Amino acid sequence: MNVLITGAAGGLGRAFANECGRRGYNLFLTDVNEEGLTCIKQGLERRFGSVVATATCDLTEADSVDSLLSIIDKYKIRFDMLLNVAGLDFEGEFMKRDREDLVKIVLLNNAATLRITHAVIKRRKPGRPFTVVFVSSLASMFPMPLKATYAASKRFILDLAVSLRHELKREDVNVLTLCPGGMVTTQKTMQSIKAQGFWGDITTNPLECVARNTIDRALAGKSFYIPGILNRILTFCSRIIPRSWVAAVIYWRWNNTQKKWLNS
Amino acid sequence: MDTIVITGASSGIGLETALLLTQYGYNIIGIGRSEYKCKQANEWIISKNPKAKIKFYLADLLHQREVVRVAEQIIQYLNENCNGKLHAIINNAGCVRSWYMTTDEGYEHQFALNHLAGFLLTYKLLPALIKAKGRVIMTGSESHKGIKINWDNIMLYRRYNPLVAYKQSKLCNMLFAKGLNERYAAEGIHAYVVDPGLVNTDIGNKETGMLVNFIWSLRKRYGVSPAVPAKTYAFLCEQSPPPDGLYYYLCKEKKYSRQVTSQNADRLFALSERLCGIQYGKVQKL
Repeated sequence: MNVLITGAAGGLGRAFANECGRRGYNLFLTDVNEEGLTCIKQGLERRFGSVVATATCDLTEADSVDSLLSIIDKYKIRFDMLLNVAGLDFEGEFMKRDREDLVKIVLLNNAATLRITHAVIKRRKPGRPFTVVFVSSLASMFPMPLKATYAASKRFILDLAVSLRHELKREDVNVLTLCPGGMVTTQKTMQSIKAQGFWGDITTNPLECVARNTIDRALAGKSFYIPGILNRILTFCSRIIPRSWVAAVIYWRWNNTQKKWLNS
Repeated sequence: MDTIVITGASSGIGLETALLLTQYGYNIIGIGRSEYKCKQANEWIISKNPKAKIKFYLADLLHQREVVRVAEQIIQYLNENCNGKLHAIINNAGCVRSWYMTTDEGYEHQFALNHLAGFLLTYKLLPALIKAKGRVIMTGSESHKGIKINWDNIMLYRRYNPLVAYKQSKLCNMLFAKGLNERYAAEGIHAYVVDPGLVNTDIGNKETGMLVNFIWSLRKRYGVSPAVPAKTYAFLCEQSPPPDGLYYYLCKEKKYSRQVTSQNADRLFALSERLCGIQYGKVQKL
């Protein structure tokens, strides 16, 4: 099984790489962080004896993706699975963010995801089933003041994935959307979760379990995965409560949390 | 003047040990993660002991490339200033985590920092240690008892339990010390593990979740000052000839787990060597 993972040098991407390594899959890892890629490649080879190829790539640059694809074509690598993990967020109020930072969220989370997905599905192994995982977020379920751009970009992914699933069904492609809550991916996210106190602790999903369950479900042909019972309940509530109310509650909560976190 | 390397020297047990050892006249190389805390620690030690010879290097030992980088810096320093000799290394840096988190290599944090970092750093500094017939001291814990190494799942990928991960990493420290003695006693190396007892430090409050944070905040109140275990480290560095024991508490030898066997040590060495991409020497029969 040949798997391509974007954003593989950190957080969820690295957790997916570990999970695939454990399962004995062959990996093609990309990220902007070259040093991180070298480290995880070394770790996977030493730990599982995995076959790992890496290529540094800035997915927001069409040229960078083209050179990535030329490497893939040169070695005639064809894939069975794509894990779209690369994404980013800048916390805080819309008007206090740098303008270009905001645009970058959409460029990476949306435009770049489209670009790589289109390219990799074209490079699937002929005659074999193909699996795509999109990493959306619990944030895609709600309008989220103070995380407005990020939440909207994740909503884009969610809608895209649900549509693509139907479009590609006949071609034996399974599309799964992952909508996780908070995960302890870096020391920074750990501080953010700490700042949320009780709610942060209970909506946090263990990274390694999310990675394992996502791949299990994707291979079983499932369409959707929200880790954690509480997160599923929150999602359900968001569907029956008016969106403006949800936005008000979230604004109140994040405003407090972010103040605490940014001041810490 | 004899030189000693201490990891995790900017706070807690490492800091007090660094201070005490400067008072014994050792030249100390401390390793810490935060520039600010290292600077503070340096100033604090100088304020307590104006004659202290101390120097800090910055490194986040969670990640192996950082371990290798700082090891190279230290070797260069030792070659230039200490005839390439190192009297002792104290592998003290450690962490507690509430969640399964991974290093850049994808290794679990507690296993990576509490065991692998010391395993790799000691390997890199081994030539300097052998030159001085030096000592390797690990910060262990009584919690290494009552547990076996989970060989099939050493990073506890399935069912991560923070306490089990911590206990296991401390058992790894014991096995590492035992394995080192079996491999390098002929070269004059002595490896020890210190049980600091319950000490009032911030280990359980750094980057942990609410539950671990809360429990540790309650528990540490009953802990002794880090100056108490510092004496045991100083004892192990000072004694001549070096004592023969493996596990020490309050300057006295203590019984350790029955899991600390040569067989387990060999197995841990083989696994850790693979994960670090290094190869220690063979076991020598004395």
